[in-house]
Amino acid sequence: MSMRSQVYEWANLSTSGNFMLRRGLNATAVAVPVDREISVFTGQYGNNITKPAETTATQFVVIEDLAASAYVGGAVQVVINTTSYFQNPDVTQQAGVPGTASPYPRGSSDTVTGTATASNVDNGVQLLNAFELTPDVYVLPGQVWDMRYSQSLSNVSADNGALGVTGSTLAVAAFVKYTLYDGPDALIANKLLELGVTVNPNNVDWYKRTLIEQQSAAASAAAAAAAGGAQ
Amino acid sequence: MSMRSQVYEWDAARTNVSGTEMTTTQFGSALSIFVGGFGNNITKPAETTATQFCVIEDIAVTPSAFTMNAGDIAGGSSYRGLPTGPTTQDSTGIAGPRAYVQIRINTTDYFLDPDNVGNDGVPGTASPYPRSVNFQPCFNLYPDVYVLPGQTWDVRVTAYQSNNYTAGDLSAGDLQCFVKYTLYDGPDALIANKLLEMGISVNPGNVDWYKRTLIQSQGM
Repeated sequence: MSMRSQVYEWANLSTSGNFMLRRGLNATAVAVPVDREISVFTGQYGNNITKPAETTATQFVVIEDLAASAYVGGAVQVVINTTSYFQNPDVTQQAGVPGTASPYPRGSSDTVTGTATASNVDNGVQLLNAFELTPDVYVLPGQVWDMRYSQSLSNVSADNGALGVTGSTLAVAAFVKYTLYDGPDALIANKLLELGVTVNPNNVDWYKRTLIEQQSAAASAAAAAAAGGAQ
Repeated sequence: MSMRSQVYEWDAARTNVSGTEMTTTQFGSALSIFVGGFGNNITKPAETTATQFCVIEDIAVTPSAFTMNAGDIAGGSSYRGLPTGPTTQDSTGIAGPRAYVQIRINTTDYFLDPDNVGNDGVPGTASPYPRSVNFQPCFNLYPDVYVLPGQTWDVRVTAYQSNNYTAGDLSAGDLQCFVKYTLYDGPDALIANKLLEMGISVNPGNVDWYKRTLIQSQGM
């Protein structure tokens, strides 16, 4: 198939060391540096993949949603090649979309408190998203892209008393949903981009229909002309 | 009827057809919800005949929550309805099964990592089942997944956090999966194929539109 909905979930969970490829049984949370952007693909914390995310010459990626843990000032940034997508108004670097604006999971709390025996470890607030990634982010053929998670507070209780529980490490996560266009659909996506039309599955389908209608009309006209010439 | 909305719910603790409940031993392996041998199963793999066309429109699995690890929560506790471990020492920072759901068409996994390696699929945390105020979706299956005539399809669940559950059989509701799809049969499957050729999304509205167009072109 040439248009595919894809997802990637990162969490600071590992079975041994700070990171692991893919996922493992009964992984546990590891400490993540504060105020440092961590690549969710190859950042060497939590679950990683084998190489940076990149599009081939025949691929086109549209990033449609991203989210991060809201707990400890988590935020997620999109980086295309070497350029960060979200910037401050003065065009300086920022952390990206805060987890409190686009929480993962939807409905999670921004507060973690509790005791060693408490059965509930948050204040019960269910956060919903105040952010939607519109317009989408395009990754053109041949570009390298990255998602980077950062947090402004430590996720280790020894360094962050607000976590409320001694001797613990908080699990944090980030999530991205994107659509991968491949082959002919990637060509159409490029064409839509040239035309200034939003790249989404509906518009790719619309472009295909337009092509088919044009070809049908041309075939009909040719047939009519041939019939007229024969008379 | 030739266009039918269909659903399938899998629960790891049921035993219909399979005769066996899923246990914590199966964590870490991808299990077919149709013929995986654990939980409620059906008698044969899901497949479309030559006159059927299937559109998978939604998938969801039991969610998980990110909490604090190692000895923070008393054994047998739960976090927003999800178990955090039978003993205090087992808490790892995840409540619930840490489950993922993948679609497989013939032998090809639908969801891939950016390095083109098949992954575990959609996290239950992103597409939870059941949905609640605490766990809401941030994923929708769009574009839909098409299963063409003659193809075999499967939905596979992988869970990783076995230590949140008491060793042995799972209980009802511990790990569930849900699939919603539309089955086009007979003439509607032919129309679905035609729509696919034309680059038009296959959904009941467009199938009806195609029928209306045919009727109008015949001057009726």
